[in-house]
Amino acid sequence: MSSRSEFLERLEKWGYNLTKAVLELEEPVMEIPARTLSNTIWDEKAKMLKLGPEKMHRRFLDMKEARRFMQTVLMLRLIVEAIREDVYPTIRDLYYNGKHTIVFKDPLGRAHRENTWDEQDESNAVIEDIEVATNVLREEMGVSADVKGKIVGPIVVRSQGYELDASKFGETALSLPVNVDALEIVKVEAAYVLVVEKDAIFQRLVREKFWSQENAILVTAKGMPDRATRRFIRRLNEEYKLPVYVLTDGDPYGWYIYSVYKSGSIKLSYESERLATPEAKFLGLTATDIDAYKISDNYVIAATDRDVKRAQELLRYPWFQKSEWTKEINLFLKKKKKVEIEALSTHGLKFLHDYLRDKIRNKKFID
Amino acid sequence: MYSYEALPVAEWFRRNRELAGFHNSTRALYQTIRELVENSLDATETYGILPTIFLRVAVEDEQKSWVSVYAEDNGIGIPGNEIPNVFGRVFYSSKYRIKQHRGVFGLGLKMVVLYAQSTTNKPVLVRSATLKSDKIYEYQIMIDTNANSPIILDRREYPNKYRWHGTAVKVVLEGNWLGAKKRIEDYLRRTAIIAPYAEIVFKGPDMDLWLKRRTTKLPPAPKEGLPHPKSVDVDTIKQMLLDSRGMTLLEFLTENFDAVGEGTAKAFLEWAGFNPNAKATALTPEELVRLVEKMKQYEGWRRPRADWLSPVGGELLEIGAKAILGAEAVFAVTRKPESYGGHPFIVEAAVAWGGQIPPSDKPLLLRYANKIPLLYDEGADVARKVVDEFHWDNYKVKFPAPLAVIIHVCSTKIPYASAGKEAIAEVAEIEKEMRLALRDAAKKLRLYLSRKEKEMELFNKYITFAKYVDEIAHNLSVITRLEKSIIAQNLHKLIEKKLGTTVDELVKHTLSLTSASQQEEVTEAMAQ
Ligand SMILES: Nc1ncnc2c1ncn2[C@@H]1O[C@H](COP(=O)(O)OP(=O)(O)OP(=O)(O)O)[C@@H](O)[C@H]1O
Ligand SMILES: [Mg+2]
Repeated sequence: MSSRSEFLERLEKWGYNLTKAVLELEEPVMEIPARTLSNTIWDEKAKMLKLGPEKMHRRFLDMKEARRFMQTVLMLRLIVEAIREDVYPTIRDLYYNGKHTIVFKDPLGRAHRENTWDEQDESNAVIEDIEVATNVLREEMGVSADVKGKIVGPIVVRSQGYELDASKFGETALSLPVNVDALEIVKVEAAYVLVVEKDAIFQRLVREKFWSQENAILVTAKGMPDRATRRFIRRLNEEYKLPVYVLTDGDPYGWYIYSVYKSGSIKLSYESERLATPEAKFLGLTATDIDAYKISDNYVIAATDRDVKRAQELLRYPWFQKSEWTKEINLFLKKKKKVEIEALSTHGLKFLHDYLRDKIRNKKFID
Repeated sequence: MYSYEALPVAEWFRRNRELAGFHNSTRALYQTIRELVENSLDATETYGILPTIFLRVAVEDEQKSWVSVYAEDNGIGIPGNEIPNVFGRVFYSSKYRIKQHRGVFGLGLKMVVLYAQSTTNKPVLVRSATLKSDKIYEYQIMIDTNANSPIILDRREYPNKYRWHGTAVKVVLEGNWLGAKKRIEDYLRRTAIIAPYAEIVFKGPDMDLWLKRRTTKLPPAPKEGLPHPKSVDVDTIKQMLLDSRGMTLLEFLTENFDAVGEGTAKAFLEWAGFNPNAKATALTPEELVRLVEKMKQYEGWRRPRADWLSPVGGELLEIGAKAILGAEAVFAVTRKPESYGGHPFIVEAAVAWGGQIPPSDKPLLLRYANKIPLLYDEGADVARKVVDEFHWDNYKVKFPAPLAVIIHVCSTKIPYASAGKEAIAEVAEIEKEMRLALRDAAKKLRLYLSRKEKEMELFNKYITFAKYVDEIAHNLSVITRLEKSIIAQNLHKLIEKKLGTTVDELVKHTLSLTSASQQEEVTEAMAQ
């Protein structure tokens, strides 16, 4: 593995090439692999999303790109400085570090004010651009994001010399660190990994001791998973061959979250090979479940226009073009009904456990 | 038994003075200034003299609201022996010949004198000297309304040591200064727009105005001519016949009318069924009416000549509009001569844009006839209709807009809607020319506005890039440890290369296109 200083060199080189163009009076152009749907390739064999060959060219002298160009150079400087100073900022730190107001006085004496960036989305996006353009991952830069992931179950890990037993957290849970690759897995005695989309359901299952009854590791990332959580699940599957099951709400957003765990995301397709878990199985909830488990109408919610639009988008994604999925999505589009995981309480609070066991034992999942 | 009596003309006008614009003490004061200023301009520019006009309004008796009006010019003056008639006989004028004047009726001065004497019973004081005259004549005159003749109260002569020429008039009348003040100011300013070669100094009880001469270029003086055969009526022909003792019809036509040679006259007479060799004076009244009718119908006449006219021209209009309106840009058009009913006319139009013109929902309209600003009765004027019906959106104008429109009609006979000379009547030929003139001027404006838009676009493009230069140069310099100023310099060069122009050029263009007022703001901002 390369050291942080080698990554620094790569980042500096990229910055130097831009500067060199300027010094030679040529327009500086950044070549950045396009992180778009059209440049996302579904690798059927590897069962994951990969970054295609398309490159976009971010030019300084392009009315639509000038601002992004400035933002990218600014972010590059922030990251380079962080490595030089041997600090480990979060993406939020970088956002605040770089945020200031540019005041430009034009030759007519009028002042123009503009923030380098307004929302964190903007600074996050240029970090990802720099990653793909320089081929240095954020983790390799030493830049971290909030980690939302936590686990409970029969697993012991070592962090900075301390051994942590995830089965001894009572009603709380073990939070995953920023760099899960630095986390040493000491011992695993689990039968499988259950990934739960929602924190509330995760906490219920912890309190109800579902994990100890099942000898399973419970994981949640509270919605759309961050990279560290995905990476950790991938390790459990890859290094310890644990089956991975995913439980989400029964709507297009839940289904997409599952696909991110399994195949990777459009925005971060260049990271799929590290993050995706192609073996992950989808337990539910499905559109079919509404009838199959006789979910009471009280728990069934009408789909919004946005849900419908999202479902139609999923239908067009190659990685959803499997008969099981098209069947589910089309059923959803036909009935225009969705359910949350909480809907499983339709037959009493314990029914969630029965549902999970039924799905896992009888292999009623979607691959 | 009925008793018949003729109402003397002067008496008739005294009783019906609102027809000539003397409705009340406000209008009368304004109209007095107008009549005097227009006579002064006629007496100067028409003869190649750069007009210098001095005006003063003073309160004479506050209780009775009597004011005096004094007007002095450097014109050709009035011969001493003509002064009494010029000031004391209605319809006495030197302007009946066919050429463009401001004055037309031979009435203006007399209305002033009549109104003054009927409200204050005071005579008009006149002092005048003609070009090279060695005497200055001074009169005090009133009008005998029943006899339509002057009453001379006083007459003096002075030696003209300094060869002064011009005319000075002073009248005392009942006038509402506060009511008329705004109109008078408007009138004088608008006069200065169309006559930027005039110097006009005005002193009022609480308003001084000095409208400086902006150019020494005068419009070409109009030539004098004979009437066009289509333009005369039966009475005029009768008048002409009095001076045509012994002429044949053929001779009468070729002598008295413009552009009528023997060939044209013969062809016409044959077409109309008259004997060319018949004595003109021998025409019966019926034949006379038929002759005039035929003259109006005949299509074989040459077009009326336009050198009797004196259009202002684009250059002068532009100077005037820029100076007085403070416009950022002015586009003027002088159309080719046209005619209606045998009277030649020319329409001029100018659109003035930006600068100190306040934006409004409708263009500000400045109407002129024979260089006279028309202030009242705008609604009755055909120009208002033309401007209102104009499709401004086709010319890149979006309201509210800082837009003023000048429309000037010059003609040997302006078809006024009334004797107050305040609005032009709807004459199809004139209306059409107004539309075309406005269209031609608006086309130039459109070109200007789109050029401006483009320059602005380029400037904004420059800003889009330039505002990031410092930030980018700083960051690259930290990353590479190279000199920031060199990176910044080169980035600026790259921008200039991309835009295909230098920043200095760009600023120069953009500045030339922004209005004067904005420029002031800019310099202020730069000074801070
Ligand atoms: N300031 C002046 N200098 C020289 N001549 C003048 C002056 N004022 C008036 N006159 C002469 O007096 C005549 C009569 O003037 P007046 O104003 O009564 O009639 P007008 O100008 O001919 O027509 P209008 O009724 O339209 O004003 C003019 O035609 C002109 O010859
Ligand atoms: Mg007059």
